Amino acid sequence: MIELQHLVKRFGDLVAVNDVSLTIGRGEFFALLGPNAAGKTTTLKILVGLMKPTSGSARVAGFDIQRQPLEARRRLAYVPDFPFLYDKLTPREFLRFTAELFRMDPARAAARAQALGARFHLESYLDLPIESLSHGTRQRVAIVSALLHEPEVFIMDEPMVGLDPHHARVLKDVLKEQALAGTTVLVSTHQLSVAEEMADRIGIMHQGRLIAVGTGEELRERSGTRGALEQTFLALTAGGPATPAAAAAPAAAGP
Amino acid sequence: MNTAPSSRSPLALLVGVNLRQGWRRLLALRRQSRLLSTMIVLFLVGYAGMAFKLFQIGLRFAGSFPGLGPVLIERMVFLLFAFLFVLLLLSNLVISYSNLFRNRETAFLLPLPLPPEVIFRWKFIESTLLASWAFVFLVAPLLAAYGLHAGVPWHFYPATLLFIALFIALPAAAGAWLAVIVARWLDRRTFQITTLVLAAAGLAWLAFQLRPVEMSEEALETRVLVVLDSLLARTRFALFPLLPSYWLSAGVQQWAEGALAAAGFFGLVLLSHVLFFGTLLCTRMGRRFFEAVSHVQSRGSALGAWGWFRAWQERRRRWRARRGGLEVLLGWVPGVPPDVRALLVKDLRLFWRDTTQWAQSLVLFGLLAVYILNLRHFSTQLTNTFWVTVVAYLNLGACALNLATLTTRCVYPQFSLEGKRLWIVGLAPLGLPRVLLAKFALGTALSLGLSLGLIVLSCRLLQLPWDRTLWYAATITIMAFTLNGLAIGLGALYPNLKEDNPSKIVSGFGGTFCLVLSFVYIVGSVLLLAFSSPWHPTGAYRAGTFVAWGVFGLLSLLLGWLPLRWGRRHAERFEY
Repeated sequence: MIELQHLVKRFGDLVAVNDVSLTIGRGEFFALLGPNAAGKTTTLKILVGLMKPTSGSARVAGFDIQRQPLEARRRLAYVPDFPFLYDKLTPREFLRFTAELFRMDPARAAARAQALGARFHLESYLDLPIESLSHGTRQRVAIVSALLHEPEVFIMDEPMVGLDPHHARVLKDVLKEQALAGTTVLVSTHQLSVAEEMADRIGIMHQGRLIAVGTGEELRERSGTRGALEQTFLALTAGGPATPAAAAAPAAAGP
Repeated sequence: MNTAPSSRSPLALLVGVNLRQGWRRLLALRRQSRLLSTMIVLFLVGYAGMAFKLFQIGLRFAGSFPGLGPVLIERMVFLLFAFLFVLLLLSNLVISYSNLFRNRETAFLLPLPLPPEVIFRWKFIESTLLASWAFVFLVAPLLAAYGLHAGVPWHFYPATLLFIALFIALPAAAGAWLAVIVARWLDRRTFQITTLVLAAAGLAWLAFQLRPVEMSEEALETRVLVVLDSLLARTRFALFPLLPSYWLSAGVQQWAEGALAAAGFFGLVLLSHVLFFGTLLCTRMGRRFFEAVSHVQSRGSALGAWGWFRAWQERRRRWRARRGGLEVLLGWVPGVPPDVRALLVKDLRLFWRDTTQWAQSLVLFGLLAVYILNLRHFSTQLTNTFWVTVVAYLNLGACALNLATLTTRCVYPQFSLEGKRLWIVGLAPLGLPRVLLAKFALGTALSLGLSLGLIVLSCRLLQLPWDRTLWYAATITIMAFTLNGLAIGLGALYPNLKEDNPSKIVSGFGGTFCLVLSFVYIVGSVLLLAFSSPWHPTGAYRAGTFVAWGVFGLLSLLLGWLPLRWGRRHAERFEY
């Protein structure tokens, strides 16, 4: 469902993603961990087609994101850490707009919106302007809009940002159900507890490289640690965080 | 979700959703304050009426020269549209760049199943509207006055509207194309250097084109046509037949003269170019746009391929560990504590690094500088005290209007630009009220430096005595304090912390209100001071002069101090 082959991304002299190869199967929940500036967000951006790789390829639901971008995006949903929403629309209007962009059947879109809206407790907010909603409520609207078209691949960058414990639980349940129903779920997170609780497999990126992939147990075995995933993570990324230049390079790019 | 989605194209969907957003913004504007929105509408109507009257008087004056009037008017129309074409091109370039590459909606749309062509087309439409509405607003009174002066039939007006609609598409297309090229090939530093070099070259070319011509008294009296011909030769660039502004000017003027076939020809020339470049842009730019987006997010410096540049960067990296030149410079300014200095350094650095913020101001002040520098030749012809006084006041007005553009465009958004980072300075022991004062001081110092330089230069070139030079310098200083106080105060009273794009912050309610108040203040003040001036031939120091100066001082104090005070109070109680 997600296939990365020898993915490389350079920012000038800096190699942000260095020869990453990874396959995530249908219905798998995969968590991507790593220190700051490890290359996680860059990998996700390549995967959703926001950025071109320097070399290598990325396939989503069997489609190459560079060669067949529209086919891939129809099957994909992406929620960034700070999602964009049209401030002057209401959530209902925004969901209708998203459904139309994905050319969904209206009845199916309405049913999905109602079900997901109820699940994330959005009913009383559906007709308020988005600009009046709290950060967490906006995040819930973004998640519902992303799930509306029943994506085959669901990618989230820091999924729990802004969510209260109750809705964080709802999101975890929904993601698990999606995975069980066959959706491939890829989340990039710094919350090790989310990865440990939810993920079928965990990947750890460090300085642009995917240095370890496996279940929690496999990673512990490999690092020779026991107990919390934190120990494993710290042992595997013992070289410290990536250089600051890695984080700064993309931001300083444009006029 | 009960309504079935229509079979609307994705482009129609995007246009529809943004129209709805725009409409609700307008409604919110009206709800915010009926009085203020009425004032803005009145200002816009007042501007249109006043501009129409001024253009009418100007055209009547230019047309009053026997035999020469029509030639002068014709050339002025060509010149005006040529300059507006260049300004539209720059405006489209800046707005297209922001809209295509620094816009959250674009980033949201890119991972959706929309072809990049569709996103590009929508952003092209949006940028064209944002960049061109002011042009239409500016030329509408002129064309109405021109039509009335030439006694045109009714169909001149709809035809002209069509010509303008076609015309604005061309700089918009060129601007969008250039924005993609810039994003694809130039990093920030290369772009800044290129902008500065091009601006300098453009101003040098303009200074050369508009250089004075030596004429003998005899030639001026006996060979008027020859003299006029040599003067008009300098403006012949506006008649370059491949310029879209030439097609527009020629089409409009031919239609006014009743030569409908010739006008139709120019209309078709415009139409064919719009269709050709429009088709190219709508069908061939999607992939290039997407590649440019990817490059903007991925690029190291374009100059990084050169060894000397890398070595220089390495040296700079070592220097950066020490205090920067800016910090050292501000350290010499007495009475600036370290926390305020840190804020000023941060503001100056961010301003310099955002090319779109200063590029347009540079062009405006550059053009004004070229005009003022040319006064040194003009002033020898100005032997009449009346005209010297008129030109001096006009210069004061021009400098002040430039100053207002600068304060509204660059100073007003400073508080809002803290945006989501407001907590950093807001929670510092510095406190938001002092942050406001520091921004006010910085804005005033920089804008005053530029304006004072220009006004003193203007006075010296008009050979005014020192006491009058000092008076104009004091006036522009008062105006700088007032306009900066107004901009900073209103910026704090009407903050938009959600928007990172300064041009969008300015286009909101507070920014428009700031612009309206600034312009009303300048026009009112300059007229008040000019009519009570003691320096025109029949004038003298009288009670009315001092009353007018007092009114100006009081008005300046109220308009600058009150918003700043209210802004400070608002900042003290600010919740974020």
